[in-house]
Amino acid sequence: MKKTKLGEFEEFVLLTVAALQREAYGVEIKRELEERLKTKLSVGSIQSALKRMEEKGFLISEFGEATMKRGGKRKRIYHTTSYARKVLSEMREIRAGLWEAIPKLAHELKLI
Amino acid sequence: MIQSNDTDSYRHQPPKWPLRLLRFFLKKEYLEEIEGDMEEIFRENLQQHSLKIASRIYTWDILKLFRPILLKNIRQTSTLIPFAMLENYFKIAWRNLIKKTAYSVINILGLALGIACCFLIFMFVQDELSYDNYHTKRDRIYRVIHGSKSVDSSTGKSYPFWVWGNGPIGPALTAEFPEIDKVVQFSGRADILLSKEDKVYQEDGIFFMDSTAFDVFTWELLRGDPKTALAAPYSIVLTETTARKYFGNEDPLGKLLKAGQSAGRSREGHFTVTGIMKDVPSNSHFRFNVLASMSTFKITRPEVFEDWGYVDFYTYFLVNEKFDRAAFEKKIPDFIARNRREPDSEYTFGIEPLKEVYLRTEAERQPGETGSLPNIYVFSIIGVFILAIAIINFMNLSTARSMERAKEVAIRKSIGAYRSSLIFQFLGESFIIVLMAMLVALILVALAMPSMEDFTDKVFMIQDLVNWQTIPVLLGGLLVISIVAGSYPALALSGFGTVTVLKGITKSNMGGANLRKALVIFQFSLSIALIAGTIIVYMQMNHVLDKELGFDKEHILVLDYNYDGAVNEKSEALRIEMEANPAILSAAFSRSVPGSYFPNAYTVLQSGDGEMQGLGQPIFQVGMDFITHFGLKLVAGRSYSRDFPSDSSKALVINEAAARQYGYTNPADVIGKKFSQWGREGEVIGVVKDFNYISLHRTIEPLTLPLAPYESRYLSLKIKSDDIARTIEDVSAIWSKLVPHRPFLYSFLDEDFNRQYKSDFIFRKLFTTFSCLAIFIACLGLLGLATYTAQQRTKEIGIRKVLGADVRNIVALLSKDFIKLVIVSILIATPISWYYMNQWLEGFAYRMEIKAWIFGLAGLAAVVIAVFTISFQSLRSARMNPVSSLRSE
Repeated sequence: MKKTKLGEFEEFVLLTVAALQREAYGVEIKRELEERLKTKLSVGSIQSALKRMEEKGFLISEFGEATMKRGGKRKRIYHTTSYARKVLSEMREIRAGLWEAIPKLAHELKLI
Repeated sequence: MIQSNDTDSYRHQPPKWPLRLLRFFLKKEYLEEIEGDMEEIFRENLQQHSLKIASRIYTWDILKLFRPILLKNIRQTSTLIPFAMLENYFKIAWRNLIKKTAYSVINILGLALGIACCFLIFMFVQDELSYDNYHTKRDRIYRVIHGSKSVDSSTGKSYPFWVWGNGPIGPALTAEFPEIDKVVQFSGRADILLSKEDKVYQEDGIFFMDSTAFDVFTWELLRGDPKTALAAPYSIVLTETTARKYFGNEDPLGKLLKAGQSAGRSREGHFTVTGIMKDVPSNSHFRFNVLASMSTFKITRPEVFEDWGYVDFYTYFLVNEKFDRAAFEKKIPDFIARNRREPDSEYTFGIEPLKEVYLRTEAERQPGETGSLPNIYVFSIIGVFILAIAIINFMNLSTARSMERAKEVAIRKSIGAYRSSLIFQFLGESFIIVLMAMLVALILVALAMPSMEDFTDKVFMIQDLVNWQTIPVLLGGLLVISIVAGSYPALALSGFGTVTVLKGITKSNMGGANLRKALVIFQFSLSIALIAGTIIVYMQMNHVLDKELGFDKEHILVLDYNYDGAVNEKSEALRIEMEANPAILSAAFSRSVPGSYFPNAYTVLQSGDGEMQGLGQPIFQVGMDFITHFGLKLVAGRSYSRDFPSDSSKALVINEAAARQYGYTNPADVIGKKFSQWGREGEVIGVVKDFNYISLHRTIEPLTLPLAPYESRYLSLKIKSDDIARTIEDVSAIWSKLVPHRPFLYSFLDEDFNRQYKSDFIFRKLFTTFSCLAIFIACLGLLGLATYTAQQRTKEIGIRKVLGADVRNIVALLSKDFIKLVIVSILIATPISWYYMNQWLEGFAYRMEIKAWIFGLAGLAAVVIAVFTISFQSLRSARMNPVSSLRSE
C-alpha cells in the first residue's frame, strides 16, 4: 500500500470503471462520474487520470466497437486489474478501520 | 434519443482547427479514442445546445486536453537510445581530454595556432582581393594603358605600358564609341600648398579630376552635388578627414582655401570647397585626400588637352551593355590612326578592367599602390601548410594513442556497437576538439589583430572574419577539418578486430606507425622548406638593403618644396647659407632624387656612325652640384661646372646605360657628341657610372641628367651624423629666414628610398612569422609523439638499463628514429624550396645566389629543434629508475 499513490479523483475514476464493467469507456465514465459528483468534468481530466492509472497498472484497456456518433472512431474499453481491485479493497478496509476507530463518544460529544 | 434528431446532428461538424491542433500534439496511440470521445460528446451537446455553444464546449474541452501525459514527448519517443549513447560519447570524449591533459593541450593549441594563422592569412588575402570591390559599377569600369609598338633593342622586349598617358584620348573615346558611357580623367598625383588662415599644409594626394568622377566611381559625397561639385574651375572636394584638418567643426561648404601653384597644372589661387566626401576606402588602388576640378587644369594649360604627346592623365571609363572587350580592342588601331595624325607614331594603347588593376596589372606609373598576386599565393600556401601541419599533429597523436583506445573499441564492439557508430564517435570527438581549437583560434586572432595591422598597414576587423557570410564557411571548415583530422583514427580504430584486441595481440602496424612516419616526414619537409625560405628571404632583403647603390644615401636630408619658384629664385642664397653651417657638408638642388618621381624625356643623340638617333629614357633634372653631392662617379668627361657658363643650356651628362643605349660600349666615345632634348641642343660632356635610382627590383635604365636648376623640387643636404636633431633645427631656422612662406618639409633619403621595399618588408615579416609558427606547431607534434613513444617503451628502457645501458644509449635509441625522419625530410624539402625560392627571386633584378649551405643550415636547424624537443622527453625516460618502470602493472 505504501507507494500506490492513488489520488482522490483517480480513486473515483477507478471505482467508476469497476462499477461500469463492460461499458467503461471515456464518455460513459465521464457521464457516470458527472452524475454522481454533480459537477461538470472535462475530457482532459478523465483521460489523463485514465492514462496515468494505466501506466501505474491499475487499468488495462482494449479497443471496442466503432459507432456513427463517434465519427467512426473506436471506443477504448477500460478494465480494472486485480491489483487495482486489491488496492481499492485495501483502501476501503483502511478507511473502514479508521471509521471504526473514531470514538463514539467523540461523535456524540460533537452532537451535543 | 430520437432517430431523426440524431441524423440531423450529423449535418453539423465540430470546428476543424482544434481537431488539427489535437492531432498535431496528441500522442498517436491516444488519438483515435480521444477524438471519438470528443465527437460523441459534441453530438450529445448538439441535442441540448445550439451549434455555436456545442462548438465552444468542444473547443474548450480540446484545449483542456493539453496535459503533459497526453502530449507527444520527444524524450519518451524512439530517440531515447541514441541520446543516451551521445551522452556516453561526450562523457568518454571529455574523460579522454581530461585524462591526457598534455596531449589535449598540444592538440588543441597546435590546431588553434594553425587555424588562427589560416584566419589571419585569410583576412589578409581577402583584403587584398577586396580592392575596388566597393565600386558598384566595377564590372563596367575599364582604364586605358598607354604603350609603344616599338621594341627595346637591348632586351628585345616591348616597353612596358604606362597607366599615365595623354589627355585627348578621353574626349576622343567618348566621341567615337557609343558603348562607352562616361570617361573620367584625372591628372597625375599633385602636391599643392593649401592654407586656411594659419593652417598651412603641403597637401599631397591631390588629383585634378573630371566632374564625371562620381558617375563612374562609387565615392559617397556627403555634402554638395555630385553632378556639379567638380565642374567649375577652382572648385575642390575634400575628404572628411582633410576637411576636418582645415575647418575643424565649421561647415566647409562654400568656403575658400588658398592654394599655391601646382607645377604644370594650376596657378596660385583660391579653391572653393564644393563637396565633402567620405574618406576613400583603404582598399582602393589609388587614394587621395583632395579632388580638384579638371577644369582648373584646363584653363591653366588648355594646350596640353589637345596634345597627344603630353603625358599627365589617367583615363578610366564606364561602358554599357553593348561593350565587348575583344571587339573594342580590334578597333584600337583604326581609332589611333584617325585621331593621331603623325603617321610614324609608335603610339598604341590597351585597356584593363578595374578588377585587374590592383593585382594583375603589369603597367607602370600607377596612380597608387599595387598588390602582388604571387605574394597572395605564397601566403595562401603557407596558410594551408600550417593548417596541414597542425592537422597532421592531431592525426599523429590520435593514431599513436589508438592502441590505448583499442580496448574501448573492442568492448564497444562486443557489446554490439556498429562500426558506423564507432566512426561517428571518433569523428564526433575530433569535432569537439576542432571546435574548441577554433574558439581558441578566434581569441588568438583577436589578440593578434593589432600586430597584424602594424605589419601590413591595413585595417582589419573581426567582423571581416565572423559575419553572416563567413559563418557557413567557418562551419564548413570546422566540419572538413574535423573529418580530415579525425578520419584516420575513426576508420582505423573502428576496423580493429574485436577478438585480436581483447586477446592482447597488438602489432605496431596496427597503430599506423608507417603512416605516422610518413606524416612526420611530410610535416618536417614543410618546416624545413619554410626555414630555408625564411633564410633566403632574409638574405635577399639584406642583400637589397646593403647593396652599393652607386650614390650616397646615408645622412642625406631632403627638403621638399614642390617646385616653388620663389624658393628656386633664392637657391643660391640658400645653398651658401646652408653650407656655411659646419654640420652641413654640401647642398644640391634637383627635380628628382633617387627613389622619387622622375619624368621621361625624348632625347636625340648622335650615334657612333654620326646619325642622329631619337630614344626615350628617364630624366633627372639636376642642379649644378648634384653629381658631386650624391657621390656619383664620373667614368668619362666632366661634371657640370660654374666655370663653364654654357653648361646651363648646352651640356648634358648621361649614365653608362644611356651611352650603351645609343651604341657606345666605351663611355669615353660619347663625349662631345651632339644631342637635342626638350628644346635644348648641345654636347654630351660627361658620363656617370650607373647608379640605382629606382628599386633593386629593376635593373638600371638609361638616364640623362640635364642641368636645369630652376626646375628643381628638392634641396638635399648631406649632414654630419652627430646631433642630427640640432642640425635639423638649424636648417629649419635658415629655411624660415629665407623662404618663410613655404612649410619646412624634410625626410631622410635612405628612408624614402627604402619605402620602395615596403611590400617586401611586409612580405618578409609575414613570411618569417608564419614560418616560425609552422615550425613551432610541428615541434609541438613531435613533442607529443616523442612523449608517447617513450611511454610505450618504458619497459624496454627499464630492461636495457638493468642490463647496463647508460643514459646516452637510451637517448640515442629514442632519438634515432626521429632523426632519420628529419633527414629524409631534408632530402625532400631541399629541391622543392630551392625551386620555389628561385621563382621568388626572379622578381628582383639584383638577387643573391642560393647557396647549398642554406639548406644545410635549414636542415641542421630542423635536426637541432627536433633533438631538443625529443631530448626533453627521452632524457626523462632515460633517467627514470628502472625499478619503478618495470614494477608497473
